[in-house]
Amino acid sequence: MQDTAPAPTSSPAARKRIRFKGEWLTGYLFILPATVLIGLFGLFPIVYAFYMSLYRWRVRQGPFVGLDNYQQLVGDWVGAASFIGGLLLVVVAHSLWIGGLRFASGWGRWGRLLGALTLLAAGIAISLGWDRLMTTGDRDYFASLVRTFYYGFISVPIQIALAITLASMLYQNIKGRDWFRMVFFLPYVTPAVAGGAVFRAIFSPREERFANQVMTDLGLPAQRWLYETEPVSELVVNYFITRFGGPGAELVNFTGFWAGPSQALLTIIIFGIWTYTGYNAVIFMAGLANIPKNLYEAAKIDGANGRQQFFHITVPMLSPVTFYLTVLGFIGTFQAFTQLYVMRSPATRDAVDTASLEIFDMFYLRNNFSMAAAQSIFLFVIILILTLYNQRILGRRRTS
Amino acid sequence: MKKLLALLAATIMTAALAQVDVDSLDPSGQTVTFWHQHDEPNRVDALDRFTADFNANNPYGITVEHLYQGGYGDIFRKMLPVLGTSSVPNLVVGYQNQTATYAVADGMVDMTPYVNSEKYGLTEEEKADFFQGIYQADVFPSFDNQRFGFPPNRSMEVIYYNIDWLEELRSAGLIDFDGAPSTPAEFEAAACAAVQQPFSGATSDTNVLGFEIDPDASNLASLTFAMGGDVFDYANNEYAYDSPEAIEAMTFMQDLFNQGCAGLATERYGDQTNFGAGTTLFTIGSTSGLPYYDSAVSEGAGHDWSVSVVPHVTAEPVQNLYGASVGIPAGKSPEANLAAWLFLKYYTSPEAQADWAVSSNYFPVRQSVAESMGDYFAANPTYEKAFSFLPYAKSEPPVPGYDFVRDEAAAAMVEIAEGADVEATLSRLDEFGDIELAAQSQ
Repeated sequence: MQDTAPAPTSSPAARKRIRFKGEWLTGYLFILPATVLIGLFGLFPIVYAFYMSLYRWRVRQGPFVGLDNYQQLVGDWVGAASFIGGLLLVVVAHSLWIGGLRFASGWGRWGRLLGALTLLAAGIAISLGWDRLMTTGDRDYFASLVRTFYYGFISVPIQIALAITLASMLYQNIKGRDWFRMVFFLPYVTPAVAGGAVFRAIFSPREERFANQVMTDLGLPAQRWLYETEPVSELVVNYFITRFGGPGAELVNFTGFWAGPSQALLTIIIFGIWTYTGYNAVIFMAGLANIPKNLYEAAKIDGANGRQQFFHITVPMLSPVTFYLTVLGFIGTFQAFTQLYVMRSPATRDAVDTASLEIFDMFYLRNNFSMAAAQSIFLFVIILILTLYNQRILGRRRTS
Repeated sequence: MKKLLALLAATIMTAALAQVDVDSLDPSGQTVTFWHQHDEPNRVDALDRFTADFNANNPYGITVEHLYQGGYGDIFRKMLPVLGTSSVPNLVVGYQNQTATYAVADGMVDMTPYVNSEKYGLTEEEKADFFQGIYQADVFPSFDNQRFGFPPNRSMEVIYYNIDWLEELRSAGLIDFDGAPSTPAEFEAAACAAVQQPFSGATSDTNVLGFEIDPDASNLASLTFAMGGDVFDYANNEYAYDSPEAIEAMTFMQDLFNQGCAGLATERYGDQTNFGAGTTLFTIGSTSGLPYYDSAVSEGAGHDWSVSVVPHVTAEPVQNLYGASVGIPAGKSPEANLAAWLFLKYYTSPEAQADWAVSSNYFPVRQSVAESMGDYFAANPTYEKAFSFLPYAKSEPPVPGYDFVRDEAAAAMVEIAEGADVEATLSRLDEFGDIELAAQSQ
């Protein structure tokens, strides 16, 4: 006897199932091109770099060496674990602190106290770990990480602050607004090599060049700019000692992390700020357009002045954009290469060599592919933690 | 077992390659790509002419395409990822140390069988026509005397000097020798006198220097050669940056800096600009820069100028001769390699060389070419003078990893110029170089 039951396709449940499968398939088909592209050009290189880092690889692939390259890089696993662990503890400390703030009771106080103690432990772990890394690991690489830190932590906050200010000003109904927008965006679309050439000329150590002319006009001594490998802090203090210390006054010599960036690096930081501020401003302007006007109107009625409106409406309402630009900014500065590459010269020695340049040299000049890969992975981990940190702090602020 | 089989296969392959019977190969219909660094219009025009002429007239129907691939560093970086694959070009420009790096990865073809081929190679007479120092520079003793390149041109490190300014210093009684300084003592006297008495025809009166030097490994090598030494100890296969001659060279340079007679070039080609403006008496640079110096002087003070050997303590001058050669990367068929060699043979033929030398301002590599360049010499006496220094030529080390050591050498020069202890700095550089060299073969 033939089965007279209706075909499964005709039942509503089956139709729903087929429609669901169809949607499921369509969804996957839509994300397939992006997945393939990201997988091929984003994830595969990371996996391959990790694979390379496990071999001895100088121009041609050598034997499998496991974690030897990492061992050579960090010198001492305890130092590396302490440093990376310390960075992660900062994120934990922040979570504990924020968790503590949620409770007004004694639990909240304990949470905050625990957060503070964790932060203290994180500081100690980072400091001790760093000390061991610098002593036993690849000193050049870790010194380049310090310069990367200067580059990121000086340029990104300044870029963001300048961009938000610029965006707020350009958002006003001023004459020639579009022209100003274009002008501020121009550095971003200017090729780094061309911009670098101009900056090299402006910041040349020659006395007749623009930056030194300005210094001279201000009554300050001409500087060596891109050729100056001494820290800016030392130059400034020594300037005041020479100027006001009288004859025989002893000059200072700052070294180590707290001495800060060299003048050469600071000059490149200025170049970086010049390049990206306009771009950030344009993104901020898009964010400004999304802030409801009635907030400002209400604030005005309540008697808030322009400054108060800026700090209490504009800045908080732009926090999602600030978060986005900060994360991208830090990732960008930690990966920064072109600006630094075009601005460096033998005279700067390694004063401007950030991690990317160090990795580049390790790969192309020293032909040590596996060590360059290990250095890249280490940098990748740091960027990952930084992004996580940004997400925890700024992301939480954004959602709150 | 696996390792044994791989070793056996490699041995058979190497033997097969080594015994390639070039005479029996047929290069017909091959296409040759040639990666180079020439973007200067005269050089590009010349290469266009060469390839057009070769493509039209070679009897095998070989087609050559020359492709600008950026500077030497760019080409090196493009080559590394494709070494040993079929993506390599048929011909590539490279300094000997870069070629040595490729060779570490078995990335270069030994050109000896092609050069020696009865049917396609060079006759003994033709080989003898090459300046032998240049001809032998691409034979690598550290790779069993394999030939990994062939030289189409060379240039040399020379001292550029302002003739008019030297004359003024002589008239003022500040120096007592004729012509260009030939010893370090004469050089120092003139460089320091120049600071005391700037050039009357200078277009500026600021930053007057006797000697402006670009921190660069080739400059360090040139000064060391002139002191009778070398930066590499070939007998022991290690760097010799801490040799007494290198220390003497850098001490000499530091003394000039300490006396305020010398300075580092602070902009790219800043030394050229200052030389042209008449504010720098001496600079050191490549002969391939002759046209650029000519332009700088024409646009600047318009003084009379020339080139000389690097002041030396040796009986004869010792000049740093350098230049990239053209090699055949491994990865193509023997027929394609032969086609590449045939173009290279044409490129280094006397006819093409005469054209190339005039167009590029490089030195030709064949003696017969020099003999036919009378008109060019007459029109360019500075070039002719520089060319006469060729018999005193010596080269920098053709070892892998030298690129990175060069950067460190430049940094060491900056440190020394800024007052660092010469011996300690060079000793550190030497140690660094040796470590880097040892690491290359790991």
